[in-house]
Amino acid sequence: MSRLGIFVDRRTLSSAEQLHALIRCRDAAESLGHSAEFLFPVDIKKIPQMDAVFIRARTDPLNVTYVASRMAESCGIPVIDDPASIRICSDKVNMYSHLLREGIAIPRTLFLSRDEASLSGAEEIFSRLGRPLILKEPSTSFSLRVEKVTDPEQFMKVASRFFRMSDWIVVQEFVESRYDWRVGVLDGELLYVCKYTIPEATFKIQDSVNGHMVFCRVESVPAKDAPAPVVEMGIAAGNAIGNGLYGVDLKTTNGDCCVIEVNDNPSLEGGEDTAYPAVYDRIISHLLGK
Amino acid sequence: MKSGRPLQSGSIYQVRRNGRIHVVAEDYSYKTECYYTLLSRELSGEPVDPDSQTVLDAAVVPLCLDKASRAGMQVADCIISQSCTDHLPAVLYGLNYFSSPSEFSLVRNPGEEREVIRHITNNGKYPFCYQPLGEGDEVVTATAIFGKSIDQGPEVEAAAAGLYAEFRIPLMTMVFIRTSLGYRLSSLAPTRYSSLSVAEKALLSAYITGQEFL
Repeated sequence: MSRLGIFVDRRTLSSAEQLHALIRCRDAAESLGHSAEFLFPVDIKKIPQMDAVFIRARTDPLNVTYVASRMAESCGIPVIDDPASIRICSDKVNMYSHLLREGIAIPRTLFLSRDEASLSGAEEIFSRLGRPLILKEPSTSFSLRVEKVTDPEQFMKVASRFFRMSDWIVVQEFVESRYDWRVGVLDGELLYVCKYTIPEATFKIQDSVNGHMVFCRVESVPAKDAPAPVVEMGIAAGNAIGNGLYGVDLKTTNGDCCVIEVNDNPSLEGGEDTAYPAVYDRIISHLLGK
Repeated sequence: MKSGRPLQSGSIYQVRRNGRIHVVAEDYSYKTECYYTLLSRELSGEPVDPDSQTVLDAAVVPLCLDKASRAGMQVADCIISQSCTDHLPAVLYGLNYFSSPSEFSLVRNPGEEREVIRHITNNGKYPFCYQPLGEGDEVVTATAIFGKSIDQGPEVEAAAAGLYAEFRIPLMTMVFIRTSLGYRLSSLAPTRYSSLSVAEKALLSAYITGQEFL
């Protein structure tokens, strides 16, 4: 019997859906003959006693999840998310650089440094990448610091706000779609596919509209019904990052497919895996061996 | 950079030595211009010091101490907590996206403790870490330039050399807890050029302009 540590924090436990997903994870580990225990930040010293660690809290290279991941790695303990995946996926400059290096199709993208930002430069970027544009602060998650801009003044206003948090930002052409594909990838293999239908009032999968949070609709899609190019590109994008667990977001337009982003620590509490009952079994088997 | 010219605030200097690029900056923090300079070099396959993984390790106090300790250095005890310390006085650091090792708090009584913890955890949202202090212990800082420190005594000079060997960060502020038994590393923090002494500026300038070999 092996010991699985499921690393969580207060925020992981803040919703019933997340709590339910964690219990499913623990139950899956136990049904495979392992023990599972929840590790909170104050339990970080227990990591060397574990046989594997599964991080289920928001990852960032500057927070305690990264400490847990690095600690597991330095003890030779299998961990999802591994430190390299956290470093790459938490920073969109790093993440897109890896995708570009491997020739993965992404919307036309450039990285803009604080010193390069100007009204005339913004106009030039509109002429190169089209209108509107998407600006992203590199460490945003849940589309929090992703904004659509339509003119140079708005571009500079949003960019200035994002430059308070990062010396570089991401500027990307806007790819319109009513839904994103999410391809779950584990160690280079397909784990699940789902569709995130974007709410009518926004272009993001989650947004605040008139003071109210709106969320995408999640539809788990059986592998046989998912377009092969989407699945193939999703797996290739995951492989461009590493051999961990990823949620790859893709858009299809006019028959073409492109990767919007690769997420480490992908959500599994929204019904993404409804058509894939063995998702946690596969994650646990990957971590602890079959 | 020309010899004798003052180190300009915010500037990043890149020095090629022995087939490696050494990047000198005031701040190696995540998502700074310097961080992206390191990352760009790495992604291009160029050998660069420090590397982006190491500067993140240096910026996160528990990781910094773990790495230094594995290299055989004396480090402070570091405890991660969500709400309170079990020992005062103590040195407290935030452990989240907004924290920096240069912003530590020396806390001596429970009133201070509550206030500081509320601040560095954003009202309990994030954990923090603390390092207990013994009686008579004090927090001291020293600058390390390419593994050298000036007029700080043999123990700090050895620590500077050891930390440079492990982290390869050309310019850093070493934060120590000085105890009756010696110096224990508390954290590594960014260093402004303007905070350097005349002798330190001369040493750093010499390295940058290739006057002194590493």
